[in-house]
Amino acid sequence: MRETMLKKTQGNRAKKAWKIMIVLSIVLLGMIVFSISWGTITVPWEDTLAIIGQHVPVISGYFPSVNAEFQAVVWNIRLPRVLVGVLVGAALGVSGAVMQGVFGNPLADPGIIGVSSGASFGAVAAIALGLTSFSIFIMPMFALVGALAAVSATVFLTMSRGKIPVMTLLLSGVAVSMLMGALTSGILTLMNEYRVREYLFWVVGGLDYRRWEHVYLAVGPILIGLIVLCLLARHLNVLVLGEQEARSVGVPVVALRLLLLFVAAATTAMAVCVSGTIGFVGLIVPHIMRIIVGPEHRWLLPSSALAGALFLVFCDTLGRMIFPPNEIRVGIMTALLGAPYFLYLLRKTQQSGGPS
Amino acid sequence: MTQEIITARNSSIVLGEKKILENITCSISAGEFVGIIGPNGAGKSTLLLALRGFVPLASGEVQLAGRPITTLSDKELARHVAYMQQEVNVGFGYTALEVVLTGRYPYLKWWQHEQAEDKAIARQYMEFTGVEALADKPVHLMSGGEKQRVLLAKVLAQETPLIFLDEPTASLDLVYQEEIFRYCQLISKQGKTVLIVAHDLKLSAKFCSRLLLLADSKMIADGSPEKVITKENLQAAYGLHAAVFMNKVTGNLDIHTYAAADDNPNKDTNVHIICGGGSGEKFIRLLYERGYRLTLGVIQPGDADANVAEAFHLPCLLGQPFSSIDELSAQENRRKISAADWVVLSDLTFGEQNIDNLQAAFMAKKLIVIEDTPIEKRDFLNGQASELYAELVEMPQVTVMTLPQFITLLEKN
Repeated sequence: MRETMLKKTQGNRAKKAWKIMIVLSIVLLGMIVFSISWGTITVPWEDTLAIIGQHVPVISGYFPSVNAEFQAVVWNIRLPRVLVGVLVGAALGVSGAVMQGVFGNPLADPGIIGVSSGASFGAVAAIALGLTSFSIFIMPMFALVGALAAVSATVFLTMSRGKIPVMTLLLSGVAVSMLMGALTSGILTLMNEYRVREYLFWVVGGLDYRRWEHVYLAVGPILIGLIVLCLLARHLNVLVLGEQEARSVGVPVVALRLLLLFVAAATTAMAVCVSGTIGFVGLIVPHIMRIIVGPEHRWLLPSSALAGALFLVFCDTLGRMIFPPNEIRVGIMTALLGAPYFLYLLRKTQQSGGPS
Repeated sequence: MTQEIITARNSSIVLGEKKILENITCSISAGEFVGIIGPNGAGKSTLLLALRGFVPLASGEVQLAGRPITTLSDKELARHVAYMQQEVNVGFGYTALEVVLTGRYPYLKWWQHEQAEDKAIARQYMEFTGVEALADKPVHLMSGGEKQRVLLAKVLAQETPLIFLDEPTASLDLVYQEEIFRYCQLISKQGKTVLIVAHDLKLSAKFCSRLLLLADSKMIADGSPEKVITKENLQAAYGLHAAVFMNKVTGNLDIHTYAAADDNPNKDTNVHIICGGGSGEKFIRLLYERGYRLTLGVIQPGDADANVAEAFHLPCLLGQPFSSIDELSAQENRRKISAADWVVLSDLTFGEQNIDNLQAAFMAKKLIVIEDTPIEKRDFLNGQASELYAELVEMPQVTVMTLPQFITLLEKN
């Protein structure tokens, strides 16, 4: 009797996680269709679906034709924007959850080990060198290289005798971030105003003017990153219990930690390089999902991906809706919504005497 | 034949400039329940870490089932030894079952998930440690005792021949401490080898089949609890004055500790005690703790005072049960009495069996007679003892006092 009860509760938990993921997927799809349809030119949602359907092979013949203006708006402007949002949101959500697991701290995010500051430095270097006009890929590539360089510097500064002490890693991350920030500021003071504006436009993360090229650039690396992280979820579960605990059951702790850090950092860097820096998604989404689906990373990571995508597309759409035709960039929206929640969390952890 | 499952040979560990372990050699066989004891900072936990291969050795070697431990892979090691650390901080709200399932990690390929079989194993051990009802409860919401039982289930779910526990009882109430030891004893009886780092000497002595006593980075004793827990070893390891004895009530090894001056001023003073029927136990301990060299006699075997003498390992003349003192004992008693610097005659009752003690008391150079009850009430020989007693207390070398007076006198000195 007891055994069947136990089985049932276990089953229930998995079932609950599945349900949540299905609900999130449906809401995300609805959000995407809404986000594409709504704007200064409002496209009826049936037309939105028809335009998307026409581009899907095999079933394309079943959709009615829609006027060319709607075609252009949906296919060339809004869809790539939303897809970049989905990719970036998923990447930030999962990377955040992984970082929190690796650091054993619910308030960690990829920015903490230098990803964002490294990416910013890469971007500003590309702008200062005047390379950005050659191709839209130049700046993202520089941002990616900058991010990975910063993370490598942080990790290798920390590593001693085959160990990566978490506290030292956090402090090295702060030091590397400050150094990168100083270098970025240094270059900015030397640049002319036109280029500073270009940088500013990038550093306040946004999804406007994202084109299919951005989608193509990000989709491969981000999907690979997400898949690898989700495959390592079970190992992350053990790692979260602490280094000694993980070593006791045979986890190659240093190798796993390095792998997780680099994949999460690279995934975040890829997101940052197509959208600019967007804060708080990686911090808040995993936190909320942990409350809803629990700490088991095999459920937490995929649901954080869905929730991250949903949150980012929601913020972007909201940013477009508040003062049309002006837009509030998505990086500002996430901060406006995220910062108060983050402060609330901080206060709550303080009151309960430590991170739970 | 017992099989050696883990051995350390001349193993030393150096951390920075400091030697944490020096030249440890031990060999543990399958099915043993080994307690690693010793004062704080003796290197107990480090020894356990070294035997698991968690800390590199400066010299020497550890072998697991005949193979040097350094040649085994992470997962191979984890399939041989389960290790429960002192303090596990289970954050993020993991449930008991999720924690126990991590014990199955060494058996899974990296892409595999836990199978139904792994879940059955996890549940089986949770049932063993009595936490199956808590399977879905987050571990950070549990009491210390529940948490340790969950972690014990996790270690068991690893299904290793060797189980290492580093002070699993450190923060637990007495009941739970004993419970953990009981589980370990049961496991070792099922053929597993258990090594436990422990603080509590009495519990270790009660449950473990073997003890390793460490002090100051060295192993100073290795063997059965009776062999290891001795007055001398405890003094050497803890700098502790203690009496170790078999507690007749519990049947367990018991330890009585006391404060004593390191430079014992009374070590050359011989005191003989004539007592019986529990009349001496109240002050024998006081005299013992003050370092007097004590002898007792003549007492009937099984007498309460004889037990006290045994507990403190005091030389004690024993008579025959239910018969008067024999010639040999009587002579020996007189020899000891005349050799003693002073003699104490306790407030004992006199009968046919021990009247000779009263006669022997006349031989004392200096005699303290303790009288709480009038001799008439202690005389079961129709006045014969009273007569003798009256004569005795008149002697010039005799001082009569009550027990409280005697104790006050002792405390004053």
